[in-house]
Amino acid sequence: MLTTRDLHKRYGSIHALSGVDLDVRPGEIVALLGPNGAGKTTLVSIIAGLLTPDSGTVEINGITTGPQLRTLPRQVGLAPQEIAIYPTVSVRDNLRFFGELAGLRRSRLRQRIAAVALTFSLTELLDRKGQHLSGGEARRLHTAMIVLHSPPLLLLDEPTAGLDVEARNELLMVIKTLAEDGCAIVYSTHYLYEVEQLEVPTVAILVEGRIAAYGPIPRLVATHGGAASVELRFSRACPQLDLPEGALQISGDAIRVPATHSPAATAASLLQTLDGAGSALREVRLIEPSLESAFLAVTADRSDATATLL
Amino acid sequence: MTVGPITAIARQDLRILRTDFVPVTLLIILPLLLMPFLRPAFKLALTLEGVQGATGAEQVVPGMAVTFGFFLVSNVSLGFYREHGWNTWDRLRVSTGSAADIVVGKMVVPLLQAVAQFVVLFVLGGAWMGLHVRGSWLALCAVGAAFGFYLVTTGLAVTALCRTSMQATAVANIGALLLAGLAGALVPYKLLPAWAHYISPAVPSYWAMEGYRHAILGGSGNVTTPIVVLLGFSGVSAFIAAIRLRLGDSKAGFA
Repeated sequence: MLTTRDLHKRYGSIHALSGVDLDVRPGEIVALLGPNGAGKTTLVSIIAGLLTPDSGTVEINGITTGPQLRTLPRQVGLAPQEIAIYPTVSVRDNLRFFGELAGLRRSRLRQRIAAVALTFSLTELLDRKGQHLSGGEARRLHTAMIVLHSPPLLLLDEPTAGLDVEARNELLMVIKTLAEDGCAIVYSTHYLYEVEQLEVPTVAILVEGRIAAYGPIPRLVATHGGAASVELRFSRACPQLDLPEGALQISGDAIRVPATHSPAATAASLLQTLDGAGSALREVRLIEPSLESAFLAVTADRSDATATLL
Repeated sequence: MTVGPITAIARQDLRILRTDFVPVTLLIILPLLLMPFLRPAFKLALTLEGVQGATGAEQVVPGMAVTFGFFLVSNVSLGFYREHGWNTWDRLRVSTGSAADIVVGKMVVPLLQAVAQFVVLFVLGGAWMGLHVRGSWLALCAVGAAFGFYLVTTGLAVTALCRTSMQATAVANIGALLLAGLAGALVPYKLLPAWAHYISPAVPSYWAMEGYRHAILGGSGNVTTPIVVLLGFSGVSAFIAAIRLRLGDSKAGFA
């Protein structure tokens, strides 16, 4: 459905994208992760046809575009990061507009509005103006507007920003359903637990314009997640301890030690070395490898700034 | 360029317009209210020119149409800046086939506003002020169409050149007063200083007034030259818009 090859984009001296390859199949959700400024929004904008790459190609549904060409509109639905709705008209007219743009008319348009409103729990709100919606309702409408014409590829940039837990879970369920119905989805987010909740088959971690890690979550965790570790937190500055090799001081009052055997055995061994410092111990955490630890390892250039090898 | 997206954009702009009709209504009602105040001065000026049986309506009606027509220029810009302010601009770009669809779609409602303003001012205002078209209503409509086309293309050029809606509104409003003044739309042309008479033919409003004047008073003048000149000015505006309007440029919607 979507294939990008060797995408490059520069803003002056800054390489926003440096050779990005991405593949998304029908029915697949690819989560796009990365720290701020990694190039996620630039990549989404290029796929959507809002930006032209300096070089490289984007192929959507068999149609290839590049620096000279523009993405065909009906192939892509884009929900940008900021809520983008028409506040002075009703929910129905917001939906109607994007249906009309896609060529839907009369009964077909009415049917699609009703179906999409039902999917996104907007039926009761159809006659309410956009400016009178709550944040969660506006975010639902914002996402609903892109599925009206059933595009085969959805680009969702931080779709749950500003939502409460309940609304977030509802939206994630809808996104899963859309993928199950065959829609290819590029899901850009900062929230790692959403990626796990969506049971996303593929994750792409973007760092400084490059895809630094790509693949299924279990493989990323196995490759980059590191070993299990034990974290000790103290109520004051970390005491001087005789720690094994590889221990990290992750903040002024916390250390992390790799578990050479089982995390529990490592924790027991560490506790024995505390002696008098034991009274300052506030918390012991057993940390298993996870998407978060893999993400932190892949984006190590940033995490290094706050972690010091002991 | 395809009809579907253009129609959809125009319909959406009409829905948005329907939610706040006051600004457009004011642009139509206010000139009607100003007409009685200005008519005596125009009547005097026309009589001094030797126009037999002049009521003043021959100048005051087109004068108000030209002056308040210029205020519609900022409405064209507003259609674009509003999308930026609501963050819907990128969605619109992704959802439509071409830049031309968006630009043409955005011109439709301002053009309809210009038509509505023309009809109300010349029909209602004309009836109220006692306007008698001695020349040709067809010629009058042709001048109105050329002037309306000039207004929307100029609105596009202003949008292309200004980064914020405040800039566009300031340029359009100040430009409206300046150009209307130079054309004799606000005060009788004969009362303008001599230097203004040299400058006036260089501004489009002068040719709009000339066209209306010939169409209303009839006689030896014809409307072809004013219409051609107005279309020429429209071409210049369209050219500026074509080379400077970049849909990917960021605009400050309500700043």
